[in-house]
Amino acid sequence: MEKVYIKSPDFVQRDVAGECILVPIRRKLSDPPCIYVLNETGAALWRRIDGTRTTQDIVTDFCEEYEAAADQVMKDFAILVDDLLSINALQERSVVTDA
Amino acid sequence: MRNVATLNALPERYPYSCQWEITCRCNLRCIMCYTDCFNRPDSIRQELTTPEILRIMDELAEAGCLEVCFTGGEPLARPDFFTLYDHAVTSGFLVTVFTNGTLVTEDVADRFAALPPYRIEISLHGLTEETFERVTQGRGSYGKCMTAIRLLRERGLPLLLKTTAMTVNRHEIMAIKRYAEELGVGYKLGEDMRPALDGGEKPFQYALSPAEQDELHRRDPALWQEACRKQVVPPSPCRSGMRTFHIDAYGGLQLCSGNRTQSYDLRRGSFTEGFYRYLPTFPCPWKAQPPSPLLQPAANHA
Repeated sequence: MEKVYIKSPDFVQRDVAGECILVPIRRKLSDPPCIYVLNETGAALWRRIDGTRTTQDIVTDFCEEYEAAADQVMKDFAILVDDLLSINALQERSVVTDA
Repeated sequence: MRNVATLNALPERYPYSCQWEITCRCNLRCIMCYTDCFNRPDSIRQELTTPEILRIMDELAEAGCLEVCFTGGEPLARPDFFTLYDHAVTSGFLVTVFTNGTLVTEDVADRFAALPPYRIEISLHGLTEETFERVTQGRGSYGKCMTAIRLLRERGLPLLLKTTAMTVNRHEIMAIKRYAEELGVGYKLGEDMRPALDGGEKPFQYALSPAEQDELHRRDPALWQEACRKQVVPPSPCRSGMRTFHIDAYGGLQLCSGNRTQSYDLRRGSFTEGFYRYLPTFPCPWKAQPPSPLLQPAANHA
């Protein structure tokens, strides 16, 4: 079993002055209004999340484009996923893979 | 991932924040209103249509604009208001709505709660029915406004109350401010009158004299502090058109709501062209004079 991640429709991605921003459009009204800014690595990983690619797919694809160590990217991706899950910007789903 | 209130890496000139006067129509006739002169059928027929507004909004999003403030007139007086509002929120704009509150029903409050705005600002020009309706000239408007405040607060929507200080309501301003504080919502006091959009001077009839403003400021530490700050800090050159801009009800792109001496027609041209090519050339008496083409400051002098 592997995990894939699905972006929540309650968040809109905006590109503002070269920064990748996540804007929550449906939020608990008890929460203060806020937006989230992804750094360059976070934004590149976020853009690869499509609900079908596994963590390994995303990390491999990332490393093909950027000169980065796979183990470090794997750690970064895990941190990003934790952050995104904590604000409900992602949903996690387990899938059966061929491997 | 950063959770931020504002971005801090914006270019010097960037279309970050838009104030959009989506209509001059209004169900009230406030005595100091500068848009009411165009609250008539022939003017309203010339206002941007729904598809035009949606198209321009998409251009703003593409250009990277993040904040949009819908004002009027009364924005909710547009029958298509929620088509525009929902499109703005779901496009990822941080949306503020300026309203007189009197058209906020249970259904309207529920729609706001379903897709929350960044903020709703309600004009509360009096704390008694007599004073409030002397300003709005609308019978029953006081009760509707107070109902709106209740409905929005019950849903936990981010709310701010504001008042324009005038001769007819200055005796209630401290009470309005206290009321906002008791509710736990923000409060803003405005004192500047501006001429009507057709050049009429009627709004100035109700302006406070400097002595009356001073007397008002001395009644509240926060107001006094703000008045002193304005006295001490020299006014810096106006930055309108740098990261903020204004769009009027007819698609005119302008430096700001208070300076409409020149417009770029968004019905004919693109927002990006208007913002980057034309807006910088629009006159503003509060801007620093641009350097002469004969002597330019050097960017680098290694």
